[in-house]
Amino acid sequence: MVMCKDVVENIIGYIDAELDDKTLEELEKHLDECPECQVFVRTYRKMLELTGKLRERTFVTPEIRERLKQLLKSKLKPN
Amino acid sequence: MIGTVTGQRGKETSPPDLVNTTDEKLIELFISSKDERAFEEIVNRYADKIYRLAFKITRDYYSAEEILQEVFLTLINKIDTFRGESKFSSWLYRVTANAAYMHLRAQKKYENDVSLEDYVPYDENGTLMGRIKAKDWSDKPDKALLSEEAMEIIEKAVNELPEPYRVVFHLRDVEGFSNQEVSEVLGLSVPALKSRLHRARLYLRDKLSDYFYEWSK
Repeated sequence: MVMCKDVVENIIGYIDAELDDKTLEELEKHLDECPECQVFVRTYRKMLELTGKLRERTFVTPEIRERLKQLLKSKLKPN
Repeated sequence: MIGTVTGQRGKETSPPDLVNTTDEKLIELFISSKDERAFEEIVNRYADKIYRLAFKITRDYYSAEEILQEVFLTLINKIDTFRGESKFSSWLYRVTANAAYMHLRAQKKYENDVSLEDYVPYDENGTLMGRIKAKDWSDKPDKALLSEEAMEIIEKAVNELPEPYRVVFHLRDVEGFSNQEVSEVLGLSVPALKSRLHRARLYLRDKLSDYFYEWSK
């Protein structure tokens, strides 16, 4: 019998659509009946969506960029 | 030419003819004709990514900047060690990760070896009953979840992951690398990194649930 634990431990395969048909069918049956697992999957997906947005943030400040530029300029200067 | 690597918040100013050129071609141009514009384009593409990974490993802004500089100096001086056997980006991330771990070793700054291997959200009976639904934040409006304050919370939560989990999560879920690429960069088997990724995601989902639950009170 499928339990919440099975949903949790198969979540990567479930999200990436890598589960075999039988496992998928059993998990989805449990999901249909389990509100806790439904919220677990929804918040898991949302967490991935939000953390993916961190890629768009800029960390290198103009000051860091300027220091890097000066350093590289001196190293790339022809002898 | 490197003098044009400028810009507010990392906006790129490279000449348009190089913007659509592949990394590998840019490296070829740099090696064959010391084309500084090609190098500048690589800097524009990767400075932020290198700095982010270095910070994710060291959690220290000064070290991250030193590593950023070291990596580009390595690129100038030792570009011939890139043999094209893997993607240039994987090679560059591997150089970055190695430099960052060397910094940690040199400074003898090791994090407590916290393991998340036993971290699970379910109880001893394998059920989530009463543990998840009470803190459902999935229907919060995107405007709130994508606000600067919320993004700070998310960043903080990622930074609180223990190092081995944080780096795998960062490369896979933030930078968007494939399992194979993460495996190449960190020298980890795919099953090992999947295991870390799984625990990292469970931990983060819980952390974000706590944060957003408290935040909305």
